[in-house]
Amino acid sequence: MIENKNNPFDITKAVDFSDKEINDYWVDLSGDSGFIKMVKPTSPMPMFILGGKGSGKTHLMRYYSYAAQKLRFEGDIVEGIREDGYIGTFLRCGGLNANRFHHQDSDINWSLLFSYYMDLWLSQLILMVINDATKNCDKFAGCEEKICEEIFELFSRPNEDELPPKDIGNLIGVLHGLQRQLDLAINNYSFSPLGMENVKILTAPGKLVFAIPQIISKYFQPFKDIRFLYLIDELENLTEDQQKYVNTIVREKEAPCSFKIGARLYGLRSFSTYSANEVNKEGSEYELLHLDEYLRNISSATYNKFAKKLCFRRLSEAGFIVPDIKGIETDIKKIANFFEIDEKSNFLKKSTSFVELKYEGEIRPYFERLKKQLLKARQGNEKSIPLSAKNIDSIINYLACSEYPLLEKVNIYLLYQDWGKSNNLVESAKIISEECQKFTVDNSYQCRQKQRLNHFQADFFAQLLRECNLKQRYLGVSDFIDMSGGLPRNLLTILKHIYQWSVFNNEAPFVGNNKISVSSQREGVLEASDWFFRDARIVELNGTVIQDSISKLATLFRDIRFSDKPAECSISTFSADLTSISATAQKTIKASVERSLLISIPGGQRDRNTKRIDSKFQLNPMLAPRWDLPVHRRGAIALSTVEVNAIFDPEYTDSLNELLQRRIGRMTAPAFGKGKFQTSSQNDLIDQFGD
Amino acid sequence: MDYTIFYREELSCTGGWDDESSWDVFISAFNSSERVSKVFELVNAANKHWIIQPDYGYEVDEYPQTNSFGPYSNNEAEFIKSYFNDSDMENLCQLRICIDITGFIKPYMMHLIFMLKRLGVKKLDVIYSEPARYADKEKTTFSDKEVFEIRQVYGFAGMHKPDVSKDILIIGSGYDDELISKIADNKNHCKKLQIFGLPSLRPEMYQENILNSHKASEAIGAGIRTAGSTYFAPANDPFVVATELSRVFQQEREKKGINTYLCPLATKPQALGFILFYLTECQNEPVSIIYPFCRSHSKETSIGISKISKYTLEF
Repeated sequence: MIENKNNPFDITKAVDFSDKEINDYWVDLSGDSGFIKMVKPTSPMPMFILGGKGSGKTHLMRYYSYAAQKLRFEGDIVEGIREDGYIGTFLRCGGLNANRFHHQDSDINWSLLFSYYMDLWLSQLILMVINDATKNCDKFAGCEEKICEEIFELFSRPNEDELPPKDIGNLIGVLHGLQRQLDLAINNYSFSPLGMENVKILTAPGKLVFAIPQIISKYFQPFKDIRFLYLIDELENLTEDQQKYVNTIVREKEAPCSFKIGARLYGLRSFSTYSANEVNKEGSEYELLHLDEYLRNISSATYNKFAKKLCFRRLSEAGFIVPDIKGIETDIKKIANFFEIDEKSNFLKKSTSFVELKYEGEIRPYFERLKKQLLKARQGNEKSIPLSAKNIDSIINYLACSEYPLLEKVNIYLLYQDWGKSNNLVESAKIISEECQKFTVDNSYQCRQKQRLNHFQADFFAQLLRECNLKQRYLGVSDFIDMSGGLPRNLLTILKHIYQWSVFNNEAPFVGNNKISVSSQREGVLEASDWFFRDARIVELNGTVIQDSISKLATLFRDIRFSDKPAECSISTFSADLTSISATAQKTIKASVERSLLISIPGGQRDRNTKRIDSKFQLNPMLAPRWDLPVHRRGAIALSTVEVNAIFDPEYTDSLNELLQRRIGRMTAPAFGKGKFQTSSQNDLIDQFGD
Repeated sequence: MDYTIFYREELSCTGGWDDESSWDVFISAFNSSERVSKVFELVNAANKHWIIQPDYGYEVDEYPQTNSFGPYSNNEAEFIKSYFNDSDMENLCQLRICIDITGFIKPYMMHLIFMLKRLGVKKLDVIYSEPARYADKEKTTFSDKEVFEIRQVYGFAGMHKPDVSKDILIIGSGYDDELISKIADNKNHCKKLQIFGLPSLRPEMYQENILNSHKASEAIGAGIRTAGSTYFAPANDPFVVATELSRVFQQEREKKGINTYLCPLATKPQALGFILFYLTECQNEPVSIIYPFCRSHSKETSIGISKISKYTLEF
């Protein structure tokens, strides 16, 4: 094995970055889509930033925090903050250990205690930021005592003679002392409840959060016009009631403060407030930024460039490549060259050369299969297909195009299409053959082969691989970017695994002109896909319900893709009328979307029969390699209510077997849904569904 | 701090223990493992208590009816409080107490030891019986994995500081990668360190442990062999575990790590090491023990009994 450099993609989570790395690895979207325009850190309007795991929320929020801000200003920090127009105070809700604030059968007002605790916590954080930013500032020293005195006055003090601290450091100490008193009482409550009697709440909820910035901007002129931005991350760690407090300070916000609140898609439990139980409304009390949806909806060229910049930044920071003086555009073009991909050729001749190599002098497996089907059809006494052994051989000879296995697959598909309609399959095969010959000479020739290839090329290639017992190919950085589905961490995770495999295979990845092999890419992609599926384990819905449902759906897609006559090309998407499905199925689909296993497609899909607009969902392309599915979204199938229930609601699973036999049967020779023959692929599906 | 000065002794699997191994009260948690029932029989004690934990889901007619306490509640503080009330134990600091931790589910065991110390017990004997092997090797399931809550164990909640940028999470990584992932995800912001049991209880168990915990490496944030984030301590020696924790803790402190979370997910002796370290060095510090609470646990996970150890804790 070659010497292992540090994997440049080893860190896939912003939480593992230092503040310096947050700046070093920062990559913005190009053009008008830049993050600063989205996040608007100086805006008074609060914003909820929602995103799936790995969408980049934490990196984004930390980038706007003071700790990263100050590293961007080498000289005068105060002046730098003035230029930015905001100062970011970053809070992770995970650090609050918020589930201490709840005990069953307790008459304590835990909501009030939590509000006070969070006020003290936020106050210490903002004072620590101010203390650090102004430590060398003479102007601040001149007003520090007055600021401390006024902040101290915000507390109702049992001991009126107590003197206010003279500097921010001591003031933080006072607040921390109050926090410790609370900690002691709360932590010991379960075995020593009497300690709670000593707890006194000394300020009104939310008062400190707004008043401290107001006092600072009143006395410290350089911060007079800046925005005090609270960046509250990991909101999903708070209970519904605790989120109500956050919603309340969002609703009651006072200048010069504002909020950016980060949460996972499933993390927002409530928009209601303690302000007469009013509910915050988007556009009125807050803005909503759905980060991964945003990244999916920008132009694919912009996302592609952003993703490649991410890769390039990792590789250049780790010393693998040196930035080109011609700029980033030249740099990112280099990324694609590190991966071995299939060479372009007419009708994928080069990529499918394995067929010739593997079956030289033998009948190719798809013709073998067709032959069996034709024989079976004859044995089944199909009146319309009176085929002799000679006829069968003729059909296969007509469909053969040995130079281009991909065209042979198209020809077979066309025969399947004719199967139900034609009385004479030999004649059909002859016409297909004539068209095929013209097409091979002139690939602009308009024929059925051309139409089908436009739609099904990727599927036919996938079928070829499978029929020749080869693994599917997910190759090249463009495929990996498409697989990431708007979650940049997914891309980094894929590259991390590929790098590990490449090193294991002695390939020296990302060095010189070396290319990462197909095998390393395939193994890495599969490992990343498995991780993504495993990582989505959820406990709320009886453990494995969501994973089982996704597994059933993906198996259905796979069986359609590898059926004889797939109804749709590159299938990874379904539409359904959610209003008619069971409550459990609705819940499962919602949870799958919130965990990014399914991606909701904006706009939905018009139902062909009723013209109703149905909801539409794509299986996350990260899961594609696990089930040999395409990473690109093209076709979609409309699932009926009973089918959706059978897939997403365990109560209806019993009916799944029959429903899917019917659906896949329509795409399977020789019966094509006429109920006479059951194929091995149907049996696979039934096995998967646990018949 | 060096905890290896504490006494550790191996007891015979066939009994005939000396007078040092007899107690006023012996407390054991009932489950279906042979190693639990056998030790209960072998122990010489004036009072032997069976603790019935609700998480095992035993029906009333399945567990011993004499000297059994529980199942009260799956809240460890309420459980132990009810047990103390019902068992009528008085002057705890005067009693010679021994706990067999083999069948205990960790939060109950942690809170029991915490409360004994809080009530003045200065010296406590703890027994652990090692299995000959786990029932289904690395695929053995210890819990239903349905984590309904991740929180600080009562008695082990620290007073944390608002600056969480240097927080660390030390996981005693066991067989269950899902639990490791969930804990790592819950304290997502922390730098994660792992302690593995090496030597393991049985030679093959280390490999099984590593195989499983590798599946959680994405949640941990780095490979299991990343230098500086992986530590080792014997799976059956709480005193070495506590010593190693103490060393790591001091080392991280020097690197300005402030808030620390500990999560023992491996063997019971390892968890005992976490408890000892916490109760000795971490009370009133920004340090907490957190735990993923599952709804139910397997009644029987091991086969046979290979070794019985007695550890003497002194507070």
